[in-house]
Amino acid sequence: MEYGLLIMGAPYSSAAPHSALRFASAVLSKGHRIAGIFFYQDGVHNASSLMTPPQDELNMREAWIELHQQHNVALDVCIAAALRRGLMSELEAKRHGLVNFNIEAPFELTGLGQLLELQQRCDRFMTFA
Amino acid sequence: MLHILNKPPHSDAAKQLLLALSADDTVLLIEDAVQAVLYPDWQGWTVSSAAVFLLAEDAVSRGVYSLANVKGLPLVEMDGFVELTEQNERIISWY
Amino acid sequence: MTRENERLVVIRHAPYSSNQLREGLDVALVTAAFGGSVSLLFLGQGVLALLKEQTVGAPGQKATLPTIDMLEMYDIENLLVPAETLQAFNITSDQLVEGVTVIPTSELPSLFQRYASVLNF
Repeated sequence: MEYGLLIMGAPYSSAAPHSALRFASAVLSKGHRIAGIFFYQDGVHNASSLMTPPQDELNMREAWIELHQQHNVALDVCIAAALRRGLMSELEAKRHGLVNFNIEAPFELTGLGQLLELQQRCDRFMTFA
Repeated sequence: MLHILNKPPHSDAAKQLLLALSADDTVLLIEDAVQAVLYPDWQGWTVSSAAVFLLAEDAVSRGVYSLANVKGLPLVEMDGFVELTEQNERIISWY
Repeated sequence: MTRENERLVVIRHAPYSSNQLREGLDVALVTAAFGGSVSLLFLGQGVLALLKEQTVGAPGQKATLPTIDMLEMYDIENLLVPAETLQAFNITSDQLVEGVTVIPTSELPSLFQRYASVLNF
């Protein structure tokens, strides 16, 4: 089966990203596919490349990247939710005349249309917030 | 339909879930929702004919696993969580 | 039974306290903009988004009522509130914006069964 996940909680503030990650691993090990993960609302913070938790804590961004690398899971970040929270790609930073950026591949900034498309395409769609 | 609750049993989210619940639905309690183990009178245990499960690892981390066992409440591991999503085409999260 | 192309967006958070309401409404608007049919259900705190007397409070705050007013322009005409929510908040339907449908609380389970996709905000 094909799964899609919507994540709306920030790492280290909410349990949602960790629950989602645990579920994702379990679903993949049962032979299902995860077509995509969409980060919305405070969930966009999962994508920050400046995230630097202490060494004894899981780096959530790296965990998502590992999921992408091993299972080809698309990591989409809502652009409007990200920009207003200070998360942006190099391209968006340039467009807004800013020096710094903190969203890099494999995370992709995209619109809400992508969320609707993901929900329509998947056999199962789940929210973690 | 599978409902996933991650807030305590007396939260707004929990109350709203109970209003939306149909008789044949399934409920999975994760994160803070496993506190429901502490409340035998919680409406979710009594009112509906829906099946209510607890995510074992969240019950363990929150110190209510053995109590859930003593009470004979149905616990599922992560594999069981996935199975519940296989069995239910539509999944709604209450948070 | 299931209306395949219809989406139910559930609004459960009050305006101003967080961005959950606004970003939930955005999903409804984008659904409609892409030609999808969408209904909005206001549960619990979410009903406060429908109070017609709302206006901008502190300077710099973005009001949500203009977004509620915009829904009709996007052909989102199905704004639902369960009677129990109104009772719980001591709100009468004449305090709400135009076009809200009050539904019996007992209809909620069948409402949730009816839609192909439901998004809770």
